[in-house]
Amino acid sequence: MKKLNEQELEQFIHSTLRSLPARRAPRSLESRVLAALEQQAMIPWYHKSWSYWPQAVRAAFLVLATGVSGGVMAAFYLGLNTVEQSGLAAQAGERLGLFTSIYHVGAWIFNLGAQIVGSIPPLWLYGGAAFVALMYATFFGLGAAAYRSLYRSNN
Amino acid sequence: MRNYEDMVYSTAVRLIGNETQAEDIAQDVFIKAHEHFDNLRTSPTAGGWLKTVATNLSINHIQRYKKRWTFFSDIVHRDDEGGEKEVEFAAPDTFFSGVDSAERREWVERALEKLPEHQRVPLVLYHFEDMPYEEIAKKTRVSLSKVKTDILRGREALAKILTRSGATHEQFST
Repeated sequence: MKKLNEQELEQFIHSTLRSLPARRAPRSLESRVLAALEQQAMIPWYHKSWSYWPQAVRAAFLVLATGVSGGVMAAFYLGLNTVEQSGLAAQAGERLGLFTSIYHVGAWIFNLGAQIVGSIPPLWLYGGAAFVALMYATFFGLGAAAYRSLYRSNN
Repeated sequence: MRNYEDMVYSTAVRLIGNETQAEDIAQDVFIKAHEHFDNLRTSPTAGGWLKTVATNLSINHIQRYKKRWTFFSDIVHRDDEGGEKEVEFAAPDTFFSGVDSAERREWVERALEKLPEHQRVPLVLYHFEDMPYEEIAKKTRVSLSKVKTDILRGREALAKILTRSGATHEQFST
């Protein structure tokens, strides 16, 4: 047996690895690629991403999308100028009223929860938290151990 | 395609360490090549392009898979840091004596597959792809020091596996 230092080891591993010829690809690879390409070719262009669309369709889509966007913006601008401002404010108030109600319900639930938690003795709360943490750590550890022993040992 | 399929497949299988997944990656590489066929058909660097795509797709595949298992699998390798060590094994000139070249190739390929992923990937990138440490660190998204340590540990582990196989003339199961 001979002891190799880092440099000798690097040289040996390098020459060993570099002397390897390319590994032979499975015979099935070519047929798989051809089948996948055929399958891709059968998919109509409108089911593929933008880059696969025909040039003419892409150009038409750009023109159409620009026109629609411009139209929407123009309609929005015109709508803002013609709609009565006070009516709009009243409508917004109604919508915000809904959010205010939701906020009140949320605050009531929070207060109720705080009262319930306040009535539980602190020892029970800490005990419960410790139990949950212990269970979490136990199951996490079991999962990791199962993965390392069952899954990794098979690879 | 026939000119490059072995090269593409070799790149993928040595990085991934799994023949089925490597075949999937090789398939994706050639589908991408088909999309760029007009540029590649006359390009003198088509081989390099295919190799780069195969490398990148393989690394992406490994990282996608790794994200799911980082905690479970990698945490056990944190004790890899260490100083310079000497590895004891048969002298290089006598190491493969009495072994025919096909068997020798098989040993080395199987030994490479046996390495853990965090050692195999940087080792393959360094020795097969001639990638510098900094680029390997960037591609694999790990620190430079870890890349150097992993490559060193990978070489040692590979030498040990080869020594064990060589000493016992163990036949690798295929």
